Amino acid sequence: MKKYLFFILFIFFNSFYLLAQNTDSTWFVTNYYKIERYIPMKDGIKLFTSIYIPKDKTEMHPVLMTRTPYSCAPYGEDKFSGIWRTYRIAYLKENYIIVTQDVRGRYMSEGEFVDVRPFNPNKKTNKDIDEASDTYDAIDWLIKNVPDNNGNVGVLGTSYPGFYSTEASLSGHPALKAVSPQAPVTDWFIGDDFHHKGAFFAMDGFSFYPTFGKAHPKPTTDYGIGFTTPVKDNYKFYLQTGAVKNLDKLIGDSIKFWHELYQHPNYDAWWKARNARNGLYNVKPAILWVGGLFDAEDCWGAWNAYKAAEKQSPQTNSKIVMGPWYHGQWSGEGSFLGNVRFGSNTSAYFQQNIEIPFFNYYLKAKGSVTQIAEANIFITGENQWKKFGQWPPADITTTDLFLSANGKASFNATQPVNENPQTTGDKIKVITDKIQSVFTSNKAGANFDEYISDPAHPVPYTEDVHNRRTREYMTDDQRFTERRTDVLTFETDVLNNDVTVTGPVIADLVTSISTTDADFVVKLIDVFPDDFEYSKEIKGNDKNYPMGGYEMLVRAEIMRGKFRNSFENPEPFTPNKITEVKWELPDVAHSFKKGHRIMVQVQSSWFPLADRNPQKFINIYQADNTDFQKATIRIYHDGVNNSKIILPILK
Amino acid sequence: MKKIFFILFIFFNSFCLLAQNADSTWIVNNYYKIEKYIPMRDGIKLFTSIYIPKDKNDKHPILIKRTPYSCAPYGETIFKDWWNSYQKDYFKEGYIMVTQDVRGRWMSEGEFKDVRPFNPNKKGKEIDESSDTYEAIDWLIKNIPGNNGNVGVFGISYPGFYSTMAAASNHPALKAVSPQAPVTNWFIGDDFHHNGAFFQMDAFDFYSPLGFAFGVPHPHPRSDAAASVGYPDHDNYKFYLETGTLKNLTKYMGDSIAFWKDLMSHPNYDAWWKARDGRNATKNLQPAMLWVGGLFDAEDCWGAWNAYQAAEQNNPGKTFNKIVEGPWFHDQWSDHDGTHHGNIKFGSNTSEYFQQHLEIPFFNYFLKGKGDVSQIAEANIFVTGANEWKTFSQWPPAGKQDEIMYLHANGKLNSVKPATANSFSEYISDPAKPVPYEEQVHFNRTRTYMSDDQRFASRRTDVLVFQTDTLTSDVTVTGNVIADIMTSISTTDADFVVKVIDVFPDYLSYNNVDIYAEEDPVNPYPMGGYQMLVRAEIFRGRYRKSYETPSAFTPGKIEEVKFELPSIAHSFKKGHRIMVQVQSSWFPLVDRNPQQFIDIYHADEKDFIKSDIKIFHDAKNASKIILPVLNK
Repeated sequence: MKKYLFFILFIFFNSFYLLAQNTDSTWFVTNYYKIERYIPMKDGIKLFTSIYIPKDKTEMHPVLMTRTPYSCAPYGEDKFSGIWRTYRIAYLKENYIIVTQDVRGRYMSEGEFVDVRPFNPNKKTNKDIDEASDTYDAIDWLIKNVPDNNGNVGVLGTSYPGFYSTEASLSGHPALKAVSPQAPVTDWFIGDDFHHKGAFFAMDGFSFYPTFGKAHPKPTTDYGIGFTTPVKDNYKFYLQTGAVKNLDKLIGDSIKFWHELYQHPNYDAWWKARNARNGLYNVKPAILWVGGLFDAEDCWGAWNAYKAAEKQSPQTNSKIVMGPWYHGQWSGEGSFLGNVRFGSNTSAYFQQNIEIPFFNYYLKAKGSVTQIAEANIFITGENQWKKFGQWPPADITTTDLFLSANGKASFNATQPVNENPQTTGDKIKVITDKIQSVFTSNKAGANFDEYISDPAHPVPYTEDVHNRRTREYMTDDQRFTERRTDVLTFETDVLNNDVTVTGPVIADLVTSISTTDADFVVKLIDVFPDDFEYSKEIKGNDKNYPMGGYEMLVRAEIMRGKFRNSFENPEPFTPNKITEVKWELPDVAHSFKKGHRIMVQVQSSWFPLADRNPQKFINIYQADNTDFQKATIRIYHDGVNNSKIILPILK
Repeated sequence: MKKIFFILFIFFNSFCLLAQNADSTWIVNNYYKIEKYIPMRDGIKLFTSIYIPKDKNDKHPILIKRTPYSCAPYGETIFKDWWNSYQKDYFKEGYIMVTQDVRGRWMSEGEFKDVRPFNPNKKGKEIDESSDTYEAIDWLIKNIPGNNGNVGVFGISYPGFYSTMAAASNHPALKAVSPQAPVTNWFIGDDFHHNGAFFQMDAFDFYSPLGFAFGVPHPHPRSDAAASVGYPDHDNYKFYLETGTLKNLTKYMGDSIAFWKDLMSHPNYDAWWKARDGRNATKNLQPAMLWVGGLFDAEDCWGAWNAYQAAEQNNPGKTFNKIVEGPWFHDQWSDHDGTHHGNIKFGSNTSEYFQQHLEIPFFNYFLKGKGDVSQIAEANIFVTGANEWKTFSQWPPAGKQDEIMYLHANGKLNSVKPATANSFSEYISDPAKPVPYEEQVHFNRTRTYMSDDQRFASRRTDVLVFQTDTLTSDVTVTGNVIADIMTSISTTDADFVVKVIDVFPDYLSYNNVDIYAEEDPVNPYPMGGYQMLVRAEIFRGRYRKSYETPSAFTPGKIEEVKFELPSIAHSFKKGHRIMVQVQSSWFPLVDRNPQQFIDIYHADEKDFIKSDIKIFHDAKNASKIILPVLNK
């Protein structure tokens, strides 16, 4: 009985699924054909390119290209990609010619791969190539060789392909009309992927390079597998591995870029050449920058490549979209991230109202793009798309939020103690207050808070034991860190009205440390009311997490203290000397609702996301396990030395 | 298509009803229920519900549970759902099943007293729980038709306390008693205090109208429960931290909860507390005794072990005073599923084993003269890790050897006494950031914290971690672990929590070892490197010399803090490590120590200060734990 029924059920659901699958995939296979070509570059190197061409002959078709280091698999002209499973079925239905190209030196392409290859603004001979010239050559070949193309080309790509999209926009090919760099890798020292403000994101690097960084002596469809960590608990693995020097030993000596990273601890000329913003001058095509507010990989790049284009190439038609997304989430489902819900499918909104109309307009002259504003930003908390005429918005007030005694954060600064009293009465009061404070204060002192940062017990970046870096940590509950003795917490009173923050957040700490270097992590947190619950109607994960009192991470960023004055020329701290450490956190777009609180947490490690600072002014890439030492960190709020964060508050 | 679902629904639903009906119909058809007020010697009458078999062929034994938690459902026509429990087997055996509301609770008359002191010299109309049981038994054997004159008593938790008290009644008809997780001493080790440290969360929740509301007064008999008001928070760490002091917690309690006031006014182990020690009632016990406890019982783990041991000492030569300890949370042995605790799997249904091989045979033998009890050893202990039931002829076992494990610099733990001079590890214990007892944000105190992964604690700066090298052979520890800490603190008081942990190997394949649970098939808990809590206990430093007379620490002076952790029965397998963690808070399980030598129950928020805790591991002052290791 049981067996029979289950069998019927199985057949039924399976058929249904196959049916659903077949509608789109059959359509794709029936209405498109695929060709694979080696496209010659100007230096003779040939790049492998897979091209899906509509059979339709009733009109000419635009070309939409992605250039990738992650392979244009599946290989074989009879094997079709799963693009029809994604929202990009819309491009197929619009009869776009869909092109994917293995970039130089990757997979089936010839030549030498160079990670984030520097843009060369002065290419002189045919030997001078860069990703922009490779794109130029590809576009040129495509419009001349692919039948029935309408002469309009678009390029898009996410993450590393976002970098190639930025570079594509610098190709200067006249057929290139529209480019959408999405979460574009932009600067691997300052804010994307492998370093944030000079601190090494060792875990992301180490999980990426053992496979990605393998040598490519000849074209291949398979790089094989990389390094498998023996310990399935990343905190333990990276802690017991110790100094990053030891990671270098584990990875072996064949991973070229990994070793280059180790050779460039500071923001030197080598790094500066790898800043994708370098070429963003006189950009011709329309650009649509796309990024995720909670993108753990390349949140920084999307915001800052857009800003550079605005500044350096003001005449360019350049716009930005930022949604509440993890890396690439905009191409999937966008109703929630981790425990935080957005009230609508923000990804579908982006796909249908922004990206597809953008390419249709510029490549097919179809529809309009008037609904795409200069900045199209989803404000979390409020959970609304908002359009702005510029970014950061014109109508913001940069407002200081002061960190003060007893865990308070306040929009009013601590008043300095009057050291020069005017009257005898004042003088007596100052002295008695001081005496009283000796008796009443059991804390380290009301003028500062302090903690011991111990490299042997770094602060975890996320709560649970796990192995792969999560993408949800960007919105996760921070209560687990509030409970630690090495994390300082400051929070406002309950807000009486909504506070909407749009733009970059500045952390401005006045600190003293007992050693010669330290890291500083500042986290901006939305504290939900104790009785908060999401309505059942709002789509979310099904984890039933206790949301009352949730401490939602809105933005966090680390700063490697020695770079406080210059990323090029690091400087030691003088132990126990009061020193300012000021840095910018990537832009936020969040509304702290009435009834919530704004919280700021300060800590000196974020492990194993960022490598540990030995808390000694040395080359960290060469440090030994014995170099790691405890540091006592003080954060001042005495009226003269006022630690604060600066919030861009929308009027 | 929908039709198929409907057919499935009907099919499964009927099957379920059928399964239920087989037992419930049988009980309803073969038993009748009466409710009686049984008079006590002082005239107070106790409400008693009695299920009697209709069978007239045999005489039947009586099995009683006395409870403060109600003998609901009330009404002679309404049956309790015994058939959902293994206790349906007692019905199949024709037992007369009795539940009684204890004095002053629910439908009984009189005044309720929490853990009412045992009075060995009752005169005249003086009563205690023993005399109440005596009179209940006496009435039952004289008034219930068809009884065979043999009475047994059992009960879990608070009813475990009433079982201990029942045993002390020594009514000649009382042949067998099984106190299970018996509340035994609320100052030293059960429920509300462990070694003088206040388990505020359990106590507050139990008594308060915000929680279980046990303490709400009972001016007259009633069959309904006091309503719970509910808490304003969903995060116990936040609730107790923001509440701050016990003084503030008392404000939330309101002013009508008598026992809470008692708790607040007896900070030390005074005569009042000593009178409330269940072990006082373990002298000259006549009935056969089967003590039962859970190795991972968050409530009354201490009571089961220690009441048994008191009964051993107080009744030398007694033939049947035995103990069962399994790998259980509070009352898990009466549950259907004894295969796992939290993430830890046991490889068999240990609860079913207990029910079918220990408890039911015990009562059948002593109350019905049926079967035999030769398979019930003096100590019947499930050894976790090894995942086997083991029998011992005494507890702790004869074949054990105390092995001293020294704490060392650099987090080492081994049997070599440190040779260095002036070596210590230190941390700052900050009452504003107490160490959580459990990793996740949650409200209700979990029962799995007793075996949960301690990696979250290892990562803190205020938790010291010491561990052995990888074990080259199994180390089985059976008995009490002694923590012997040489410490100096910068203030005048502090708490010390010592945790004994089994560190699992890191291997990926380890997750596939079938004895280890993966509760969530989608997101299996990462068991590689798991730090399984085997036993933890807290000690409030001021009591290091005496529970009766606390003494302050002299700041900076090295002192010894030595205490016993409740017995364990665990095998640290080859390839694992033994870890010890030391910390000075365990929150909000236990109230925070202000770290000053003051009355904590009346301390103010400003009294709570940081303390710098040093744990010494040098030649002169060697901190250690003593493990009772079973010889192979």
